[in-house]
Amino acid sequence: MASVTFEHIHKAFGSFVAIEDFNLHIAAGEFVSLLGPSGCGKTTTLRMLAGLEHPTSGTISVGDRVVNDLPPGKRDIAMVFQSYALYPHMTVAQNIEYPLKKRGVARAERRQQVQRAAALLQIEPLLDRKPRQLSGGQQQRVALGRALVRNPAAFLLDEPLSNLDAKLRAHMRAELIELHQRIGKTMVYVTHDQLEAMTMSDRIAVLDKGTLQQCDTPHEIYHRPVNAVVAGFIGTPAMNFISGTLRAESARLLFESGSLSLSLPRHLVREEALAAGDTAITLGVRPEDVGLTADGLPAIAKVVEPTGHESIVFYDLSGHKMVGRVGPDIRLKAGDAVRLTLNSNKLHFFHAGTGHRLNTDLEPIAATAAPGRVA
Amino acid sequence: MRRFLFNLFAWTVVGLVAFPLLWTIVTSLKPQTELFRIPPSLLPGEITFEHYRRLLRETRFPTYFANSVVVAVGTTVVVIVVALLGAHSLTRFAYPGRERLAQLVLFTYLLPSVVLVIPLYLLLVEVGVANTLFSLTIAYTTFALPFALWLLRSFMAGIPQDLEAAAMVDGASRMGAFVDVILPQALPGIISTAVFTFILAWNEYLFALVLVNQDTARTLTTGVINMLVTSFHIEWSLLMAASVMMSVPIIIVFAFLQKHLTRGFGAGGVKG
Amino acid sequence: MTAVEALPRPAEQGLKLSTRYGLLGALLIAPTVLIFCAVIVYPLVSAIYLSLFSIYTPTLKGRWVGLGNYADLLASGEFWNALGVNLIWTAGTLVLQLVAGVALALLLHQNIVFRSLARSLILFPYFMSTVVAVLVWRWLFNDLYGILNHAMMWTGLLSMPLDWLGRMPNAMISVILVGAWKYFPFVVISVLARLQTIPDHLYEAATMDGAGRWARFTDITLPQLREVLFIVILLRAIWDFKEFDLIYLMTGGGPVTSTMTLPLLVYKQAFALNEMGGASAVAVLMMIVMLGFMVLYFRTGRTAEN
Repeated sequence: MASVTFEHIHKAFGSFVAIEDFNLHIAAGEFVSLLGPSGCGKTTTLRMLAGLEHPTSGTISVGDRVVNDLPPGKRDIAMVFQSYALYPHMTVAQNIEYPLKKRGVARAERRQQVQRAAALLQIEPLLDRKPRQLSGGQQQRVALGRALVRNPAAFLLDEPLSNLDAKLRAHMRAELIELHQRIGKTMVYVTHDQLEAMTMSDRIAVLDKGTLQQCDTPHEIYHRPVNAVVAGFIGTPAMNFISGTLRAESARLLFESGSLSLSLPRHLVREEALAAGDTAITLGVRPEDVGLTADGLPAIAKVVEPTGHESIVFYDLSGHKMVGRVGPDIRLKAGDAVRLTLNSNKLHFFHAGTGHRLNTDLEPIAATAAPGRVA
Repeated sequence: MRRFLFNLFAWTVVGLVAFPLLWTIVTSLKPQTELFRIPPSLLPGEITFEHYRRLLRETRFPTYFANSVVVAVGTTVVVIVVALLGAHSLTRFAYPGRERLAQLVLFTYLLPSVVLVIPLYLLLVEVGVANTLFSLTIAYTTFALPFALWLLRSFMAGIPQDLEAAAMVDGASRMGAFVDVILPQALPGIISTAVFTFILAWNEYLFALVLVNQDTARTLTTGVINMLVTSFHIEWSLLMAASVMMSVPIIIVFAFLQKHLTRGFGAGGVKG
Repeated sequence: MTAVEALPRPAEQGLKLSTRYGLLGALLIAPTVLIFCAVIVYPLVSAIYLSLFSIYTPTLKGRWVGLGNYADLLASGEFWNALGVNLIWTAGTLVLQLVAGVALALLLHQNIVFRSLARSLILFPYFMSTVVAVLVWRWLFNDLYGILNHAMMWTGLLSMPLDWLGRMPNAMISVILVGAWKYFPFVVISVLARLQTIPDHLYEAATMDGAGRWARFTDITLPQLREVLFIVILLRAIWDFKEFDLIYLMTGGGPVTSTMTLPLLVYKQAFALNEMGGASAVAVLMMIVMLGFMVLYFRTGRTAEN
């Protein structure tokens, strides 16, 4: 078990820059997800750690060993591929045995280890089958078994659940969490599914366009996104964004966007972020912070999607589209006139140009950031 | 009824196309006297294996056959080994000039042998290996290697990248992953390519005609013609028997490896 | 192999992993490159070089003539005749191959009894030796004992035995015919493979839209085959253009020079007229003609990959 460190990693494919100045420290035993839309560079990052891609510059360390120039087999890591990459011509047992064989483990010892891994994943009855005779879920387990059978410094998982159906995915997610708790290994998990990242990770590293946006606990990422990109990517339904201007007037802040006008407490936004006149900003509101009240802002419910335990409602608020959640007891229907209230303590302010978070809460960032983070 | 008529029609067409093949066999089994009967008899009145016996016992046919086997097998082995390594390099490694090289392979795949035959002849005479089976093997690599490379490249590009990556993460070196994972996966493609290469070498005529003019090193294609076709006389019975026997390896391939033939076809001819 | 890599290799320790992999890749392709240089690139360059000499074949003594060989060739009727003959042969046999190939592919795509045997029989000519194919056909064409003449006289198509190879235009027609018979299976396999990938629902949709048998063929099958036919035509054009064995063994270029294509002219110049320089010049000119086809093929290959 070992930590993993990326320092100033750059990766370019020809003129295309895939990863730019990527810094991340993953503590020993930590479960960290690399999360982002497809093409954001998360898989490339993982493959560089595995030794399957080579950084243009920067260093990668496993424990205190720089692994840049070590071939994948010498890096003491195990990897589960999105495609599972089971060897089609080998049986399940031979698949799981392969990494041990390559490490020169004696035959008797190998057999024992394979049995142990198979027992852990409950795939003993499958050991003599070929991969093509297995279901998707079973293949997934074999791939995990092949990674688990040796004792690597870190596990690398590249979207391991994305080829499973929804029910099986939820099941395997729970199993992976349990597995991590049991073996306590360093795990680096690549996914584009925020639900997986939120539920499983100690910390989430959000990537976009080859740049690390934020790395923090799921709670911090959700409640204090450092910029509009992170804020927009995390959360379902996605955060509402309203572009407008912010003006400081004595103790209040006046937010204006078209015919919409909000008066907010001044302390919400950092003083130095406020320009002399108007500041162009993007206001972010999570759907759960859009509430109904008797004396709120007039709006029309356009579409109502009941999901059972709540309803997702699409409003028209003075020409702005807003998404909100309401409890199961509130029966709205399309066309209903309602009055909305926005939870001012949970509003997110982002600079219109840079997308940076302007909320006051960002001040103690050094204290809230994980201790291991390489800044 | 329509089914039946359609089948009848289809098989008539197939029969017409295949008739020359059947006719060869029929002719090779007819006694010499029946061969020149007018009009020809469709089925032999009497079946004889005399021509086959004469061919094997009284002519140099067995020598030619052995030569063909040596050259075709030799070419296939050399070409498959070299092309496997080359195709692995072209599909799995990154280095400058790789794309250019792949294009060069395609270009040489289409290159006419007749352009190369004269300089090759001069080269082999110069080196002093003309008139040997070895010189033919060298000459045959000029078309067999680009062909095998192109075919194998297409097969090996279809093997998932992740398999090799998984093997390397699991502790294999690059060549170890090649042996453990890529080779077993490429095996059907290797068989197809080997079969095609063998057939190409087995059937080759131009190089054999130009590079060899001694009976000891003649292959079937040139040997049979040289032996049985002269300006004055053509030994039809023996020729037909020789034709059948020359086709034996190909018939064997058809019987046992047809699936590999059609697969190779798709990879080399059309996808390429 | 693992054991070897487990040992420390000081020479490589300094190199980046990607560089090491690059070197390994270069090492793997090295045998190919060496062989290519020795038996393809060198002869190709030397063919161009030789074409600038006048070389007497039996002694291999040469004399520099510069572009003289080319000037002689372009001024002679022989070269232009061979080029013309070559184009007629290529076009003729290619068209026949395509028509027969597509037709047979459609036929074999249907559900007929013993289909795989039928396929084997159809494909066989392509894989058999050209020498065998030619011998068989020469026996069929035999003016006295050949079954072709007898069959055609019996059915009333002919009143007298025909000299299939010794006269024009018979010789050209015969060569084209045998070429088509030998090589049309390539079209069959290629088209058949493509036919099997056309999804059934396209035909179902067309039937529901009221398309009849013929309309389904022209509106669905043909457009789906367009790409594969284009590639097949290019490849076959290249291969037919450079065909030597079949024509040489059928007619030897005769009668006189009426089936003398460029590859045969190369052979004749080098080994009958003992003029290797001139032969090389013909070969180079032939290459130049073929480059047109090749460039076209390269282009399609690249667009297909993109």
